[in-house]
Amino acid sequence: MTIARSIIDIAIAAAEKAGARRVTRVNVIAGELRGIIPLQLTYCFGLMAENTIASGAQLGLEIVPVSGKCRRCDETFVVKEYRYICPKCQSEDVQTVSGTELRVKDIEVE
Amino acid sequence: MKINVMTDVLEANDRIAAANRQVFDRYRNLVINLMSSPGAGKTTLLEKTAEALKGKLRLGVITGDIETTRDSERLQKYQLPVVQLTTGSACHLDANMIASALPHLDLSQVDTLIVENVGNLVCPAEFKIGEDFKVMMLSVTEGDEKPLKYPLMFRESALLLINKIDLLQYTNFSMEVAKANAKKVSPDLEIIDISCVTGEGIPSWVEWLSRCYREKFGTVRRA
Repeated sequence: MTIARSIIDIAIAAAEKAGARRVTRVNVIAGELRGIIPLQLTYCFGLMAENTIASGAQLGLEIVPVSGKCRRCDETFVVKEYRYICPKCQSEDVQTVSGTELRVKDIEVE
Repeated sequence: MKINVMTDVLEANDRIAAANRQVFDRYRNLVINLMSSPGAGKTTLLEKTAEALKGKLRLGVITGDIETTRDSERLQKYQLPVVQLTTGSACHLDANMIASALPHLDLSQVDTLIVENVGNLVCPAEFKIGEDFKVMMLSVTEGDEKPLKYPLMFRESALLLINKIDLLQYTNFSMEVAKANAKKVSPDLEIIDISCVTGEGIPSWVEWLSRCYREKFGTVRRA
């Protein structure tokens, strides 16, 4: 709910800055590790948007998979089921490079 | 018309958290964000910690609860600086709520401030409050698969306390499986086994706090 509220706040601020009257779509990037449940977020987003200039706006949700980079051989790979092991050299010294982001990417306005 | 935004959703919270952190640093407070499921034993741990830290570090507590002030009542007898936040319907503490509690605490009388988050394994991990470390508590009655179910919580934490080990024989909880699962989602996680009933592991936890304090401020405690 707090996340939905923040998304709406950010979208409205960006729309007002651009002098827009209405927000029709908000595109959000969410890393898999954030544990965002799309149905739930979409529902909360709809509630939070009511009686604002984003009322009725669509929420576009792009889920980014977890990817890691091996600190030993620099290999970048998708981490499945939290197996932080480099597929190339089997090292366990792996840095998470994506999967934790949570960002409003862009908005569509009228 | 499309407008590029690229703003972090939690940016506003993170900004307030950074401001809280500055206040804590100024007062030389080590701040721990303690998270767990409801009933894992957070308040009992605080009671044990209050006793065990006597003469070592001065403890202060901010405790979050959805409705009641029961937690702070339990802590009253230890004569600690305690602030109770009732969050209403909110299932976690955020940086703003912590900021609102600060005027009610004399931080100059505190070495380590433990913030007892609302019992929940999902939302608290998302919100920074200005802490130095997140500490996660898992009790053996909850099951050893929890790290795989709630990975963000474990990944965000520096330390995992496995509580209620006195009940191990009555459960099918496997210490080995739980630790392997925790390490799988968070390879650098430190783990301490404790029992708030028998007191086992409490000295290791207190030593962990003292070590973090020393590493942050370079002394055992302020003069």
